[in-house]
Amino acid sequence: MGEDLILELKGITKIFPGVKALDNVQFQLRRGEVHALMGENGAGKSTFIKTITGVHQPEEGHIYFNGKEVSFKGTKDAQELGIAAVYQHPTSYPELTVTENIFIGHEIMKGGIIQWNEMNKEAEKLLGRLHANFKVTDEVGALTIAQQQMVEIAKALSTNAQVILLDEPTAALTANESQELYRIVDELHEEGVSIIFISHRMEDMYRLAQRVTVFRDSQYIGTYDVDGITEPELIKYMVGREITDMYPKPEVEIGEELFRLDNLSKMGFFKDVSLNVHAGEIVGLTGLVGAGRTETMEAVCGITKADSGKIILEGKELNIRRPKDAMKAGIILLPEDRQKQGLIMNWGLGTNVILPIQDELANNGFINNKKEWEIGKQYLEDVDTKAVTIFDPATSLSGGNQQKVVVAKALVQKNMKLVIMDEPTKGVDVGAKAEIYAIMGDLAKQGYGIILVSSEMAEVLGMSDRIYVMCKGRVTGCLDVEDASQEKILELAMEQSGKEVE
Amino acid sequence: MAGKSGRTISATPQGGIKEKIFSWEGALILLLIAVNIFGAVLSPNYNMTNILRESPRYLAEIFMLFGMAFILVLGDIDISVGSIVCLTATMGCLVSNKGMGVGAVILVCLGVGLLCGMLNGFVATKFTELPTMIITLGTQIIFRGIAEVALGDGGSASMTDIQSIGILRAKVGPVPLSFFIVIICAIIFITVLNKTTFGRKLYAIGSNRTTAYYTGIEVQRIRFFSFSMLGFLAGLCGLFLLASTYGANTTTGNGFEMEVIAMCVFGGIATTGGKGNIIGGFIAAFIIVCLRIAFGQINMNTQLILVIIGVMLIVSVLIPAVTNAINSRKKTKKA
Amino acid sequence: MKKDKSLIKTITGSREASLVIVLIILIAVITVMSPSFLSPTNISQIFRNNALTMLMALGMLCVMLTAGIDISITSTLAFSGMIIGLMQKFDYLHNTFLLFVIGILIGTACGVLNGLIIAKGKVAPIICTMGAMYIWRGMAYVISNNAWASGADVAGFSDFGKEGSFGPYIILIIAYIAFFVVMKWTKFGRKIYAVGSNTEAARISGINVDKTIISVYAIMGLLAGLAGVLSVSIYASAQPNMQYAKEMDVIAACVIGGVSMNGGRGSVVGTFLGALIIAIIAKALPLVGISAIAQNLVKGVIILVVVVLNVITQRMMDKQALARREM
Repeated sequence: MGEDLILELKGITKIFPGVKALDNVQFQLRRGEVHALMGENGAGKSTFIKTITGVHQPEEGHIYFNGKEVSFKGTKDAQELGIAAVYQHPTSYPELTVTENIFIGHEIMKGGIIQWNEMNKEAEKLLGRLHANFKVTDEVGALTIAQQQMVEIAKALSTNAQVILLDEPTAALTANESQELYRIVDELHEEGVSIIFISHRMEDMYRLAQRVTVFRDSQYIGTYDVDGITEPELIKYMVGREITDMYPKPEVEIGEELFRLDNLSKMGFFKDVSLNVHAGEIVGLTGLVGAGRTETMEAVCGITKADSGKIILEGKELNIRRPKDAMKAGIILLPEDRQKQGLIMNWGLGTNVILPIQDELANNGFINNKKEWEIGKQYLEDVDTKAVTIFDPATSLSGGNQQKVVVAKALVQKNMKLVIMDEPTKGVDVGAKAEIYAIMGDLAKQGYGIILVSSEMAEVLGMSDRIYVMCKGRVTGCLDVEDASQEKILELAMEQSGKEVE
Repeated sequence: MAGKSGRTISATPQGGIKEKIFSWEGALILLLIAVNIFGAVLSPNYNMTNILRESPRYLAEIFMLFGMAFILVLGDIDISVGSIVCLTATMGCLVSNKGMGVGAVILVCLGVGLLCGMLNGFVATKFTELPTMIITLGTQIIFRGIAEVALGDGGSASMTDIQSIGILRAKVGPVPLSFFIVIICAIIFITVLNKTTFGRKLYAIGSNRTTAYYTGIEVQRIRFFSFSMLGFLAGLCGLFLLASTYGANTTTGNGFEMEVIAMCVFGGIATTGGKGNIIGGFIAAFIIVCLRIAFGQINMNTQLILVIIGVMLIVSVLIPAVTNAINSRKKTKKA
Repeated sequence: MKKDKSLIKTITGSREASLVIVLIILIAVITVMSPSFLSPTNISQIFRNNALTMLMALGMLCVMLTAGIDISITSTLAFSGMIIGLMQKFDYLHNTFLLFVIGILIGTACGVLNGLIIAKGKVAPIICTMGAMYIWRGMAYVISNNAWASGADVAGFSDFGKEGSFGPYIILIIAYIAFFVVMKWTKFGRKIYAVGSNTEAARISGINVDKTIISVYAIMGLLAGLAGVLSVSIYASAQPNMQYAKEMDVIAACVIGGVSMNGGRGSVVGTFLGALIIAIIAKALPLVGISAIAQNLVKGVIILVVVVLNVITQRMMDKQALARREM
């Protein structure tokens, strides 16, 4: 009992319509520690964070702050005690300035009038403390994600928070920006702020935290000292079973050249991008966020249009002006954002899967339900989706299973030759990740060309045959997987000179 | 590459007759019957002959319902159609008064309507950053503005030769021509929206425009087509309105856009896109038409109909919200 | 670290500044073509003829800042105005001050109802206010039995708004100053911006979103009710179809003034300038030799051109920003 706990939660249960999001979980935060909270998607971490900040009120359980029991009716109560959160998606106000964002809800007032000068000065001080490189009068919508996150942290600091919660703070950050965030967390730690953070990256945990708590299936599994736990152990706790082979890369005979880009350029996004893919080959495309990878692939798939350069598939130059052109030619994109670009979330799974080929299944434009259901069922089963019927809405699935539906939606297109997967495992839990890699391996075996766009180094190194690295809109290098290493890739990804390959 | 777990997924649709009867459309049909009983009880004059005689001026408005349903399903809105009706009726009247035949009048009304719709569609698809509410707010004022200029100082025009467009007032027995057009439109548009891949593309765009685009659906072409189609139908409405009122003035078609949107919403089509069904809108339109005629027959203050439409509109959108809230509360308790 | 922005950038960057420039050019051109334009009579007429639009534009600004819209305002106006007119017609009440209070209360009640349905019932603002638009317009007809309250009925009361009286101007000035202060310097104003810019974030940071939305529609209703009373006073009559379809003018004023339909962006100054530009054009057309009949046509073209130009300049700025990116 001698521990100095700033925050303790006991027996917390939170129920949403039809599901138990938290089932009798507990948590202890020591004063001044950095505490990681880990678990697969859907384990209940975000709900737990929102319980601490008063967004959700638990059905059962007790919360103690500095040893005293408290109850939060709303976010105000938690704020007043000095608990602040930086959420996964920056909760900023894009049309408002940095100062307005930092002080929203707790403006500095005098006689009922907002003191803009004082607030600007205070905001400048906070930004200085974080070594921010933008102005307090900038509109937040015009800042990068990393900068917006800094605004969020400044917002937390402006309330003199004693406990700061960070929900997946590094998910959208580049390697450099992550380092910057580590520095900020270190400084807060030194100042005695207690920090809870959620992350999928093991690296974050080892670098920052002293202790780690694991949740699985809405339940508390355990709390461990970071120094005393190995990565496989931790994964076992999170997944509930051991994963033997994370990257099941099959031996594949690599065929002839299938696809190539010649000096593809688009002003402001990418320049002179040349690369090629062979049949049966998995080609990794990596680089820092904002290096132009997604933009290049979107131009290949007709989402946007390149200014110049050639797209060549099976020796023939393609004229791609819209997504349909690319799909007809056999280039299929699995977009980065499942929920916004990949699926229609409130539609049934079956309809989502057959949407790209609905015209082919139809009789003179009339929908053929029987055929659609049959094919939808077949492909959803092929990718092993965890669903009851093909009419379940996509919203009812976990992130990993949603991604499988996106894969099924690509597979259903019979003329597919080249598959472009943009961050296929982003936000997907460990278990589903392995299944998606298995599908990827199968596709390579069947002779499809695959471009794997990813920021996750381990995944690129584990699955690719060759790796292209982009930096500031240009391809800065191409590595065979045998010669590649994290260091080499990072070097190319951050290279300053515009050296080109080929 | 079959599923490794051997898990099977059911492909048998659930739900049956029970759900169909208790659907929104079922409730609307009951309401339609109730309105007709109400009319028949209150007024001896509320009978088929009178309804059919009174109906043409109301039926014309229903043409636009079908186009508006497409636009709303797409997640767009068009508040310029009332003005398009005004402009087309004006142009048709002026052309007729120049001594040109019925063919020219038809051509001008439909052509002008189509052009107006195409202008809306052009701006909406070339400047996708703009909400269609703003675009059609601008064109609403422009189209009526053109009509006002064309009508000149008097602000109205009457047809000098009403016989020339007599064919538009043709009847088969007691049934007016416009009734058949409404039925034909209903069959075509309901089939397209419910049974064809084109209809599903509309729903896809309305539910998630980005996903629809990434899936290879020609989002902007379909939007342009739908706006043009609505313009054309507004032209058709203007034509038949001209035929039943023998003229046009600066207030012709005033408020039609809101009435048509109200019919759609009352019929269960959400203005947020991707939801709803034309059948509901179609039944709702007849409920409103029957109510209007009934009120006219019993000499009630005809403007009371406005209050009733307003209340029905709000209640019809509140019902799903309230039932959802109750359902989710029940679920929370169960868990 | 501070970089000095060039004058041009400040102008293109700020919506209000570019509106002022448009306004100055507009006035200059009109004055050259018709030197008498800037006479005190003309100026006071511009404000008097557009007092209702200008007043309600303030409420519409608040509503649009929360990403909402209210198309029931002129119906609310007619309903409150009609009640005021009838009270005098049937000699229930002739006290100008009390009539104002009653009109405002009626409007506020209508607004609160909208707000409740939108915030608590989760109904789309356009649908809810469309329903209200029908209800209150219909009620105006029903309570008056399609009849007017004439100039003789409202004699005495109409002194407040008659030509030469300062009443309408004072109300406008007070309203604009009050809104300017509230939107810029009070917590309530900040809350409105926050809710419109990011509703979810506002909720998480402890702002009572529902209350804010209800207040915003209540304010809109209040101004519409006030406009109803003012309308009876200015035009010395009350009829059930008054200001029919004029809600679009109010929305147009906001749109030209740079208020975004997606919420979170817009200002009192911009709204004022937007309303003023429309008012000046309406007044100036006959003076520069364009028939008054073409007023709507010109207004519509201006709205469309302004919003389209806005998109085009934004695209050009984005393109320039892209071209500057080194690769």
